[in-house]
Amino acid sequence: MADAPQWKILVVEDDKFLSRLYSDQLRRDGFDVIVASSGDEGLGRARREHPDLVLLDIILPDKNGFDVLSALKLDEGTTRTPVVILTNLGRDADVQTGLKLGAAGYLIKTDISITRLGEEVRRHLVTARSAGGGER
Amino acid sequence: VTSVIAHQLKTPLAGLKSALEVLLAGQLGAVPPAQEEYLRIALEETERMIAQVRDLLDAAHIDERKFVLSPTPVDFAAVVRQAMAAVEPFARAKNTTLSLTVEPNLPTLSLDGPKLQQAVSNVIDNAIRYNRGRGRVALSLRRVGRRVVFACRDSGIGIGRAEAKHLFTKFYRAPAAVTIVPSGSGLGLYIARAIVEQSGGRLWFESVPGQGTTFYLALPVQ
Repeated sequence: MADAPQWKILVVEDDKFLSRLYSDQLRRDGFDVIVASSGDEGLGRARREHPDLVLLDIILPDKNGFDVLSALKLDEGTTRTPVVILTNLGRDADVQTGLKLGAAGYLIKTDISITRLGEEVRRHLVTARSAGGGER
Repeated sequence: VTSVIAHQLKTPLAGLKSALEVLLAGQLGAVPPAQEEYLRIALEETERMIAQVRDLLDAAHIDERKFVLSPTPVDFAAVVRQAMAAVEPFARAKNTTLSLTVEPNLPTLSLDGPKLQQAVSNVIDNAIRYNRGRGRVALSLRRVGRRVVFACRDSGIGIGRAEAKHLFTKFYRAPAAVTIVPSGSGLGLYIARAIVEQSGGRLWFESVPGQGTTFYLALPVQ
């Protein structure tokens, strides 16, 4: 937790209550949090504000999460930013699509325990840092 | 339509579950014991609803032929042990003793491990659910010719002849089962059989009403 406050997390989630729950939880866990409620807004904020990690929903207005993920991975400025999908699409085909497109992790909203979300995010940040991505 | 509705239910359920977890963890302030009990029950009920929505989605995917299996080499005994571990808290809550006997040197099978675990869990869950107080559920795994057979024997209420032919029907719940557990979804065995049959296997049972039931799940050795 010592170095947690320096991490900036972008939460891309269109459901207002879930967005607030995830953001509040991550702030309580010591992260700096920015939010977006659509695919385009998420992509824009990721490109402009360089978060250390993106928590990305799949079913979103205007651009779905898979398209956002592809765009982030194709963009030199965001290609190394770890993206963790946080969705209710839990079929194997969806998980495989997400991982093939370069997601660092795939979480199912109804399966995770929100009180462990910060821990999970930190684990991906540490992995990305040791792999040389998401440098700060 | 079912899968769309079931999927749409998952978003508010995820919100409910998360909010209750945050409250119960005391992250928004200490929770008085009387409130904690209500919150805990609300969380358990929410998790039960999530499980039922998941079953509903699986059943819809089976009906729409979108239930896809991804076979890999699988140690059936390991799958059964994982399924046992998953239902162990439920067995403890129901004062039911689980045991497992595995024949040595069973061959590796080509199956979808997580889906097979779901089928095995559903069968064991069913045996625990409709057992008597302080009941026993004996599990075994052995090779019979070109098949590996998992057996799940309970000391429960048994299944009458009239109920037997409907047991794997979607949403069917035997009258005696409804008396014991009013809230089951009637989907567990339907999903289990679909998984087993899609894997090239067979799921069936033998029962003596009043004495108990044994479910058999046979899968082919390639």
